[in-house]
Amino acid sequence: MKLSDREQDGIVILEPKGKIMGGPDATLLNDKLHEIIEAGQKRVVIDLSQVNWMNSTGLGILISTLTTLRNNDGELKLANVTEKIQSLLVITKLAPVFDSFDTIDDAVKAFK
Amino acid sequence: MDIELVKIIIYIFTGGFLSFLAITIVRDNLGNRLNRVTSAMLLFAGLGPLFLTLATIIHQSPQASTGFTDSNLFNMQHIWEFFFPLLLLFSWIFPEDRLREFRHPGLKYLIFIPQVIHLLLMLFFTTIADLLSSFAIDPDATGFSKIILVPASYLFSFLLLIISFIRNNHIAIFGSLNILYILTAIYFLESSRKLVTNPRLITQTRMVFHGIRFSVGIYALTFLGSLLFQKLFSDTLLSASYMLSSLTIAGIFAYATIRYQLLDVRLKFRQSFVYTITSALLVGIYIILVLKSETILQPFFGAQSEVLSYAFIILLLLLFQPINGFIDSILKSLFIRTRTDHSTIIERFSRQVISLFDPKKLRQIIEDTLKTSLLVEKVYFVLFDDEIGEYAILQSDDFSKRVALDRDDLMLRGINLLDSPTYLHSLSDYMADSQLANALNERKVRLVLPMKDANHMLGFIALTDKVAGYRYSTDDFNLLGVLSNQMVTALTNARLYVDSLERTRLQKEVSMARQIQLDLLPSFPPDIETIAISVHSTPSRTVGGDFYDFIKIDEDHIGIVIADASGKGMPAALMIAQIQAIIHSEVNNGNRISTMMKNMNQLVAEATSPEKYVTLFYGELNTKQGEFHYCNAGHNYPILARSNGDMELLTTGGPIIGALLNMEYTSTSVRLGPEDILFLYTDGLSEAMDKDENEFGEKRVRDLVCENRQQEACDILDNIIKEVRAYDNTYPPRDDTTIISLKTNSKLVTTNV
Repeated sequence: MKLSDREQDGIVILEPKGKIMGGPDATLLNDKLHEIIEAGQKRVVIDLSQVNWMNSTGLGILISTLTTLRNNDGELKLANVTEKIQSLLVITKLAPVFDSFDTIDDAVKAFK
Repeated sequence: MDIELVKIIIYIFTGGFLSFLAITIVRDNLGNRLNRVTSAMLLFAGLGPLFLTLATIIHQSPQASTGFTDSNLFNMQHIWEFFFPLLLLFSWIFPEDRLREFRHPGLKYLIFIPQVIHLLLMLFFTTIADLLSSFAIDPDATGFSKIILVPASYLFSFLLLIISFIRNNHIAIFGSLNILYILTAIYFLESSRKLVTNPRLITQTRMVFHGIRFSVGIYALTFLGSLLFQKLFSDTLLSASYMLSSLTIAGIFAYATIRYQLLDVRLKFRQSFVYTITSALLVGIYIILVLKSETILQPFFGAQSEVLSYAFIILLLLLFQPINGFIDSILKSLFIRTRTDHSTIIERFSRQVISLFDPKKLRQIIEDTLKTSLLVEKVYFVLFDDEIGEYAILQSDDFSKRVALDRDDLMLRGINLLDSPTYLHSLSDYMADSQLANALNERKVRLVLPMKDANHMLGFIALTDKVAGYRYSTDDFNLLGVLSNQMVTALTNARLYVDSLERTRLQKEVSMARQIQLDLLPSFPPDIETIAISVHSTPSRTVGGDFYDFIKIDEDHIGIVIADASGKGMPAALMIAQIQAIIHSEVNNGNRISTMMKNMNQLVAEATSPEKYVTLFYGELNTKQGEFHYCNAGHNYPILARSNGDMELLTTGGPIIGALLNMEYTSTSVRLGPEDILFLYTDGLSEAMDKDENEFGEKRVRDLVCENRQQEACDILDNIIKEVRAYDNTYPPRDDTTIISLKTNSKLVTTNV
């Protein structure tokens, strides 16, 4: 997984690319997240358009991100959730837990 | 041959041997005080017999005068008594150099005074006596000369009296003094011998001390005996015991020097010494044989002996070379191939460490090797500690605390730049504020020996001075260089071995964990009249994160669990164990399924971090009537394939267990009819991949179940596994895979309750 980030209207957009799996990916995302929180940011959108695969650990990373943000009074929204990840969210019944949007703009707007 | 001749030969041999040994020692290592003292001591011990020989030869010559015993040449033999003060000096510096701390080094020469007096007395007494007799006072002298000269004359006469007393009893007086020297020397030798710890030095000192004691013991006994029981001790007995005494001294020092490298004399000098002595002996024998050839041949060949003697000389000449070679090889095996020969040290060291994997023992061998072969006084190890990730000075006999070093320590960096053994004082640029430098100075370290492999420094060995003040030679440096390479290899091997031991231990623990896990899983599916159950479960590692269970609730009800913990291996297996315990206790409590799942989620979510979760399906099946009450907590949908061709997915439930707190769960019921199939699996099955990384997929699983609906439970399972293996033949599978295949039969009661 590669991870880039940018800001749009005061909201951090994280753009992972590739497969989200365990190990280094978790560390990478976790470190980035703490960086964001320490910088005082609390609202994060993860753009999943370029994530083609995610295993159970990858899902764990998403859950962990959500929890960390919530514990810091922040909020996480997902954008461009691919069909594969959507079905994973459905099966695990986490779909209601995550706010998912079709586009980044929609996700950003939802914070307003 | 008469006894006098034997005596002379032995005297010459002993004297020559001692002098030659003395020269050999000095020639190799003049810089060392111990060598100088020992050499002088042996030289003087050798001078005694040599002067005696000369005196005896002169004595035997026809021109010998009756007053010969007073001749200067004969009296020169007393020069050998310098042996005693030198022995005392030797005892002060071997094996510990006590003189180093002596404040007035010049004072030590005072111990030579009695021997000097003795020698002077013996050499010049006649002159002094003449001189004094010339002072005889004219009894008619008056006035000034009488006032001054008469007391002076008395004084001189008194002095003369004392001197002549000493002169007449010189053997008893100076002999006793010498014995006093011997006793003092033995006292010092014994007291410092107790301090010796170096193994090689122990052998050396033991040998030398016993030799000295034996030799001077004989001397003292002979001397006292001859003094007290003059009649019992004939001249022959006296000379025999003196000879034995000096031969012992000579032999013991020669042997200790050659064999145990006493005095640190280099191999080539020890060799040359041995060869010279044996060659001299051989040549001596050869010359005697040649000189006597005619006499030897005379009885056998009579008149022809003169001609034959030439042939005999040539024969001897021909024999000389092979005999010399033979003796040479004997000497080599006896003396030269000793533990101090460098190639032997290296060979021995590598033989010892090649199969040694205990780092502690290895360090012991390194330490012993350095102490024995190089006479190093103390050896300290500074090694990289994998556990703390820093270098540390290891414990030693005198410093019981291990000292961890700062990675940025200046001296450590300095040593890191080295490639070969280096004197510590040449690293003075790195001393400032260095904890390591202080510690090394405190330990009196002289030399550091870095141990480097291709990538980094394993550490270094710190060596103090050699014992008895010997210096490190160029040869020593070469040897240390070679040894350090071998040590690096040995230490690396030992470390790899410890690593592999640790791995083996972990593997053992994991396989124990696997056994525990297997024991927790039902060994085979329950035997139920109405239902056939088949199970397949393969972990992708030794222990897995998949879990299934059948829990008997009562006669008619059975609980069925299938679960998959996030991640793999040990962490997943530990979560599974926790889940299993919770399920069993919840089932025993008789809670409703939805409550049970909620409780379980709460317990796991509180205990673990959010990314640790379990997808879990739990259902309770009425084995008589086929009613199945279940809750699906985020697990792959189990497939219910009806006998009539319908297919349902069991989706009702709630989110995965353990990810988030305060989740709600719902449960629902389905009714199984005869010949219905319930197929439960974990995502290891559906996420199998072909070589292009296309997933096997849930749809394919469903289709396969439906296609195989006519088959028995076990055949359905086998067929699907066959299919998936054909699709993805990775072994072990990428992910833990568990499948439960369950098929009801016609014995199921189909009437509505």
